[in-house]
Amino acid sequence: MDAQHDVLVVGAGCAGMRAAIEAFDAGADVAMISKIHPTRSHSGAAEGGINAALGNASEDDPETHAFDTVKGSDYLGDQDAIEILCREAPGDVYQLENWGAVFSRTEDGRIAQRPFGAAGAPRTAYAADITGHVLVQVLYEQVVKRDILTYEEWFAWKLVVDDGRCQGVICWDLLNGGLKVVGAKTVILATGGAGRLYTGTTNAYSCTGDGMALALRAGVALKDMEMMQFHPTTLAPTGVLITEGCRGEGAYLLNSEGERFLKDYAPNAMELASRDVISRAEQTEIDQGRGIEGNVLLDLRHLGAEKILERLHGTRELSMVFMGIDPIHEPIPVRPGAHYHMGGVDTDAWGQTSLTGLYAAGEVACVSVHGANRLGGNALMETITFGKRSGRHAADWALANTTVTVPEGVVTDAERELKALLDRRDGERPWKIRDELAATMHENFGVFRREDQMQRQGQIVDGLRERYERVVVEDKGDVFNSDLTQALELGFLLELAEAMVVCGIARKESRGAHARPHDFPERDDENFLKHTLVTSVDGRPRLDWKPVTMTKWEPKERTY
Amino acid sequence: MEAATKPAEKTMQVRVKIWRYDSQTGDRALKEYELEAPEWVTLLDVLDLIKDQQDGTLAYRKSCRMMICGSCGMRMDGAAVLACKTRMYDIVQAGHVPVISAMGNLPIVKDLVVDMDPFWDKFKAMKPYLQPGYEEPTEGKEYLVSQERMNVIHKEALCINCGACVSECNAMESDPAFLGPQALAKGMRFVGDARDANTVERLEDYSGEHGIWECTRCYFCNERCPKGVDPRDAIAKLGAEAMKQGVDTDMGAKHARWFVKSAETTGWLRETELVPKTQGVISAISQMKFAMGLAVKGKVPPPIPPHVADRVDESRALRKLVKEQGRDGYAGIVQGERALARLEHEASGAHGGMGSLESADVTPGEEPTAGKAD
Ligand SMILES: Cc1cc2nc3c(=O)[nH]c(=O)nc-3n(C[C@H](O)[C@H](O)[C@H](O)COP(=O)(O)OP(=O)(O)OC[C@H]3O[C@@H](n4cnc5c(N)ncnc54)[C@H](O)[C@@H]3O)c2cc1C
Ligand code: SF4
Ligand code: SF4
Ligand code: FES
Repeated sequence: MDAQHDVLVVGAGCAGMRAAIEAFDAGADVAMISKIHPTRSHSGAAEGGINAALGNASEDDPETHAFDTVKGSDYLGDQDAIEILCREAPGDVYQLENWGAVFSRTEDGRIAQRPFGAAGAPRTAYAADITGHVLVQVLYEQVVKRDILTYEEWFAWKLVVDDGRCQGVICWDLLNGGLKVVGAKTVILATGGAGRLYTGTTNAYSCTGDGMALALRAGVALKDMEMMQFHPTTLAPTGVLITEGCRGEGAYLLNSEGERFLKDYAPNAMELASRDVISRAEQTEIDQGRGIEGNVLLDLRHLGAEKILERLHGTRELSMVFMGIDPIHEPIPVRPGAHYHMGGVDTDAWGQTSLTGLYAAGEVACVSVHGANRLGGNALMETITFGKRSGRHAADWALANTTVTVPEGVVTDAERELKALLDRRDGERPWKIRDELAATMHENFGVFRREDQMQRQGQIVDGLRERYERVVVEDKGDVFNSDLTQALELGFLLELAEAMVVCGIARKESRGAHARPHDFPERDDENFLKHTLVTSVDGRPRLDWKPVTMTKWEPKERTY
Repeated sequence: MEAATKPAEKTMQVRVKIWRYDSQTGDRALKEYELEAPEWVTLLDVLDLIKDQQDGTLAYRKSCRMMICGSCGMRMDGAAVLACKTRMYDIVQAGHVPVISAMGNLPIVKDLVVDMDPFWDKFKAMKPYLQPGYEEPTEGKEYLVSQERMNVIHKEALCINCGACVSECNAMESDPAFLGPQALAKGMRFVGDARDANTVERLEDYSGEHGIWECTRCYFCNERCPKGVDPRDAIAKLGAEAMKQGVDTDMGAKHARWFVKSAETTGWLRETELVPKTQGVISAISQMKFAMGLAVKGKVPPPIPPHVADRVDESRALRKLVKEQGRDGYAGIVQGERALARLEHEASGAHGGMGSLESADVTPGEEPTAGKAD
């Protein structure tokens, strides 16, 4: 064992840092592992804001927040967890402000809040258009203040499970090379999302679902894995997010015939309809041949140069850097892109998984507060509140228990497996498999899901997994071997894709992000008001179901 | 690299040269790569294509690919850039073959990857966390702070810790221990925060050896920062605030004080007198050659006799105005530096003095647009 701690947090985005801070404050010896420096985590890319019923912009209360969230989840969210989130959110946001978060302000100097989709009140606290960045900075500042040890650029590759408990993590040291073993009484997974399963995604290169795969391999269940949210305005081809603010300012969405096609889908709300509605409308246009090379057009021109320069400066910069298109003169090609994974590691409201000593928080987890559809601004809030809660629980548990054992065999097995991978010289390099996986997921498991496409995707993923067995890492060196870590990430993604497809096929209804207009166009509460659960049995996914927890809200039709 | 799913995507031939560094052998080599790439690619996409299809051992950092995580700082043709912010199309059209290398002022680990530890050590040396004072947040909620007051640190808060400024910093080249533009900008983020109570202690910390007065004002950091943080302006604000708070025992602070005095009495920045005033006569003589060199280039007036500018009254009025408006300390600095910069760039006359002060009001934080979503 190279080191040992009470609490070991894997991942240092908003969820991971918040968990580490809480565990530290509870008196535990805590450390973080992160494959990139904490401030580089993708939480920093969040623009819009974080939801809490502060009531600074209008009357609001946690109860209304909870109802909006339950309804937004298409009733698949667990209502006990949602109530906890909404109740603790205000205090948690004040905490961030007291630590120094640079929130935007109201006239009277309070935290400013803006309206967001499907929310009954302006509830989204924000820091201009860099909310995530500001939160990452303030959390990192607090980590520095406490001098919390971070194993930076260490890649978590395996969980150590012994005696029915999670007791540590095996990592690859990216900067210096070599496997490192860190023992811990409790381990908190906070590794973020898995958007890299898709060609077009708003997620960073680092969002490869590592923690979900680690849990799956350790026998822990993943929940609602079919629920991947698509954002309607992402730049083709890279998937970089174009903010909803454009539509807020009055931008049009046009098809190849120059029509504002939303008139056929949401004649009242038009471009201001909810995310899933617009994503589906766009995909329908594209599928029916009214797209432009797989895109529709986001037209800002009529807003005029002045407004674009003043209000949508960031969008213009993104469009010019990534597309070479100046939206003052040309429309921007956009399409739905994978944005947020509602599914993840199955946990309770303290972040505990079914494996003693293993916790999960943030996008990697599925508590579930988002159910089948996440509301904008709730993801950041989840990272903070459930990061805090899991940090607290993991610390308490660790302080009440003493031993950590990492059996020698676990380490030697890992070393052998790694050596076999690095020694392999004949075979395929990972990138083609990665690109094929992402392209086919986009095509066959995207905005719309058809039975035959999902079946085909299952076979495709099988084939890709077979090819992956013979994958070759070209870089054999120790220093900054990202060729190796990227190959390991691909292994994670392939297993998650398989799990998603199994869940998608099993859910024979349309709910939230899971849209099956061709065979099961309606929500079916009688048969499917329940979570999918998938565990790995002999390397293959096994499907189970789990009831949704309901406290006070009966399912109703979701109309806005 | 994103998979190219669309058919008939327009492509171009891209050529780049990359300084490779093998940390295990210590070998350095400039290698040229040629590849076909879609027209939309950035430098980061080009590196990805090379790593995928030509050489899996190429090392560089990346994550967000949207200019927010700060991973992908490197040099293109000797100047620091974010790879993901650098669009290749125009470079290729111009027939240019750029040279890519690791950032400067930081030890190279492998190829384009530098050791960021010295960078983060300096960051941590700033005590980069809020140190609140006696004031309590109201009713256990948030501190009440106006947006205007928040705007003071708006630019500093944009920093993504990419290191581009540090890479290009002149002062750091001669003194690797110089705290540097990023750390000092972070320092200003707290000095300027109404909620922070340790302003004086911070200014004392930041004013010591390797601190704010070591900056040579080359402005490279402002120029290369991909996020518009303008670290040099932050340093100037710290300097002004240090003087305002009486933290001015350091030589650099004396230098700056004399600067003000000089401008007030003569209307000129009497650079030639600055040296003796702040360093003593002996060392002044050894610097005479340098000063004369500047005089020849017309940068400072010849040493003898000191003369009074025609419009000294204007200069004095400017200083008075600054004081009256409470624009001494950091609040005056954005304008102060900007005004100076403008004076340097525009021939004296039309835009000097008062004009600059007018137009250089505190840089406001951009008013957040309503309804912006994630
Ligand atoms: C463009 C964009 C905009 C968004 N805007 C908003 C918004 O406005 N409001 C909102 O509420 N939500 C928003 N979201 C969603 C929200 O930002 C994310 O869900 C949330 O930030 C995830 O935080 P996290 O801490 O779980 O993960 P991340 O911030 O992604 O952090 C993951 C961490 O895990 C580490 N890690 C991963 N794998 C490993 C491994 N194998 N070994 C070691 N370390 C590892 C990484 O290094 C990183 O530190 C947005 C998402 C995107 C993509
Ligand atoms: S202005 Fe100062 S801090 Fe900025 S690069 Fe030049 S010497 Fe460094
Ligand atoms: S000040 Fe600018 S260049 Fe320097 S680290 Fe911050 S963002 Fe990068
Ligand atoms: S990859 Fe994040 S800033 Fe370039």
